[in-house]
Amino acid sequence: MIVASFATPAPQKMIGEASRIFYYHIPQAWLCVIAFAMSMIFSIQFLRRRQIADDDRAVTAASLGFIFCFLATVTGATFAKITWGSFWNWDPRETSIFVLLLIYAAYFALRNAIDEEQKRAALSAVYSIFAFVTVPFLIFVVPRIVPSLHPADSVVDENMRFTMGPLVGTIFGSSLALFTGLFLWILNLAVRIKRIERARLEKEF
Amino acid sequence: MDGNYVALAVTLLIWVGLFFFLMRLDKRVKELEKRS
Repeated sequence: MIVASFATPAPQKMIGEASRIFYYHIPQAWLCVIAFAMSMIFSIQFLRRRQIADDDRAVTAASLGFIFCFLATVTGATFAKITWGSFWNWDPRETSIFVLLLIYAAYFALRNAIDEEQKRAALSAVYSIFAFVTVPFLIFVVPRIVPSLHPADSVVDENMRFTMGPLVGTIFGSSLALFTGLFLWILNLAVRIKRIERARLEKEF
Repeated sequence: MDGNYVALAVTLLIWVGLFFFLMRLDKRVKELEKRS
């Protein structure tokens, strides 16, 4: 997939070589939504079962979502520099992802402000649920209702029809699968490391 | 086109590095899980 993303013709002829970033930028934005959704699901699970392992999963998913959101911002800014002439234009898409980063930065700030474990987990779980409510609005709605320079029909057009040709679609699908696999692998590892750390701490006390 | 190959080399290096780092980490985590 990585070789194909550079060795095949650029996916969008009008934009040119810069459109190759599309194979990396869109999966990053996609994973940011998936990770924040998973964080919300684990938060709901924590509120129902009150098991700290669910809080560990929620915070790990939110951390990964934040990293992918940041990567999507960086790759988007690089694309903006090449196509629009500057890294940051306060375009609706750029503004909405910036607001999203701030919302999740506040989630980590909230966690750091509370020492008591159960209280921290409960409050951040509630925050995570409310934070996710803004995600579909900021990622999918705002950039479509406000005029934006950001390409809107890279994956689907306004009639929700798939806009990619077979070659571009295959490379894009592989990229999506590769990034999702990477995300799930890192999430699994991080949760297991937290479990080991917790078991060690319990042994010590 | 040369620029594309440089970008390809850098991207491959990052992905392969990340893959091997995660493989090593996975192995170490498995060892720690067995011990505890």
